[in-house]
Amino acid sequence: MECRVLSIQSHVVRGYVGNKSATFPLQVLGFEVDSINSVQFSNHTGYAHWKGQVLTAEELNVLYEGIKLNQVNRYDYILTGYSRDSSFLETVVDIIQELKKANPSLVYVCDPVMGDHGAMYVPEYLLPVYRDKVVPLADILTPNQFEAELLTGRKITTEEDALEVMDLLHKLGPETVVLTSTDLPSKRGDQFLVALGSQNIVKADGTKTSQKICMDMPKVDAVFVGTGDLFAAMLLAWTHHHPKDLKAACEKTASVMHHVIRRTMTYANEMAGPGKRPSPAQLELRMVQSKADIENPAVVLEARVL
Amino acid sequence: MECRVLSIQSHVVRGYVGNKSATFPLQVLGFEVDSINSVQFSNHTGYAHWKGQVLTAEELNVLYEGIKLNQVNRYDYILTGYSRDSSFLETVVDIIQELKKANPSLVYVCDPVMGDHGAMYVPEYLLPVYRDKVVPLSSSTQLIIKTVVLTSTDLPSKRGDQFLVALGSQNIVKADGTKTSQKICMDMPKVDAVFVGTGDLFAAMLLAWTHHHPKDLKAACEKTASVMHHVIRRTMTYANEMAGPGKRPSPAQLELRMVQSKADIENPAVVLEARVL
Repeated sequence: MECRVLSIQSHVVRGYVGNKSATFPLQVLGFEVDSINSVQFSNHTGYAHWKGQVLTAEELNVLYEGIKLNQVNRYDYILTGYSRDSSFLETVVDIIQELKKANPSLVYVCDPVMGDHGAMYVPEYLLPVYRDKVVPLADILTPNQFEAELLTGRKITTEEDALEVMDLLHKLGPETVVLTSTDLPSKRGDQFLVALGSQNIVKADGTKTSQKICMDMPKVDAVFVGTGDLFAAMLLAWTHHHPKDLKAACEKTASVMHHVIRRTMTYANEMAGPGKRPSPAQLELRMVQSKADIENPAVVLEARVL
Repeated sequence: MECRVLSIQSHVVRGYVGNKSATFPLQVLGFEVDSINSVQFSNHTGYAHWKGQVLTAEELNVLYEGIKLNQVNRYDYILTGYSRDSSFLETVVDIIQELKKANPSLVYVCDPVMGDHGAMYVPEYLLPVYRDKVVPLSSSTQLIIKTVVLTSTDLPSKRGDQFLVALGSQNIVKADGTKTSQKICMDMPKVDAVFVGTGDLFAAMLLAWTHHHPKDLKAACEKTASVMHHVIRRTMTYANEMAGPGKRPSPAQLELRMVQSKADIENPAVVLEARVL
């Protein structure tokens, strides 16, 4: 498999978020990963302390310039995630536009990281940049419920709302949308959260339609960081192998998440000791230890076609 | 296996040198790798063009400070490679000294990158920093460096001019308490190409295989050299295919086929034998 990904995300010295979360899993699955580190921090910002440096839009441009001058600016996928800087995001947009010209079949996997549970955790002025410039370029979009609501201006309270919002997101750009988590009630009870997906497909007779799926995913009683980054990376990998089968791609992606999270929870609770809540350091994803699950995930979750 | 490595090396967006060369192989072998990127460049400096930014000594300090404030500055191994900046190197020295205090059994694997074939390709003033400050740290409490591998020499090989000679020496304590050293010699096939990042891969794999064979330098070097052999062979095949018949491959085409060599990295078929001298 000869497949090259450009991933523009954070780097942390210790732990698994951003490029640290995305790179190793993609590499073990055989993808060539070129990575531009948008920041270099000691660790993620959920620890008591964090320190480091950020890359400016100009520095990002300089790095891309080097790739371009050597005429190696040809990618099959681009992957982006968390950003706090609108001029940085706008430079990312310029780069993607140019890369799409160089390779029109480039697939841009975009995690429009803006917030969760009703609150934004990036500056508000990023929303119009995402909605008007970034998302229109995206081919695969992985918003959570809150981000989907922000991008479409619509609230989601029922499954019907979610399906309509995904169709609105298709109109903004991406052919594939996955609502990575919602507050919708799960048929399996309150220990589960509902995720949904929608993929535009062209049928044999030429008519356009969409395949919509729904997954019930077990909730976990812990705060993980980097899981969204891992999800987007694995969705890239599994939609690559199942380009017309969102059900299969999502089942594998969600299964990988399940195995990694379970292994992490077991380790974290062991490290913390009985009755103690694990620390952010103890809750770092057990990425390296999950290599076999990443390479060949046992499918443990089933997606329903709606 | 619960083993944490701190690797302070370059990052390139594209290709395999520095941390890009060391991290994936160590991770597939089950090591936790914390990485401080001393630079971020588009690609290595053997291409026609390269662009990017360097980390200052002060910025390195700030990153380490974050690790320390969270009380997670405990490592089993440190790995360093190419550096052009003496104040950066001196800050690395300070960090390693502190980490050795936090964990006295820390092992520092040092590739003292300065030059090759009779010429230095770093500033000359780095030599005394390496000799007097850096290299002494890659030692046990007896201030004797435990393991040395001469990764390549111009010495004539018994197997002919298609081979280069590598040697190794490891201090060991015998059962009766006397100190001695195990010295080994390896003949490695030469390749007709310029690779970048192979030294970084070698040091990382030597870290891994001396971890698994701490008192058997012969075994550790055989596995390390075998991994190199498989990765280089795969890379040469690919590079020549990409370049086409009769053409010399470009630096981009010669990037190590790292990801494709995962199985060889995980479980290297031993194809080279080291002689105990």
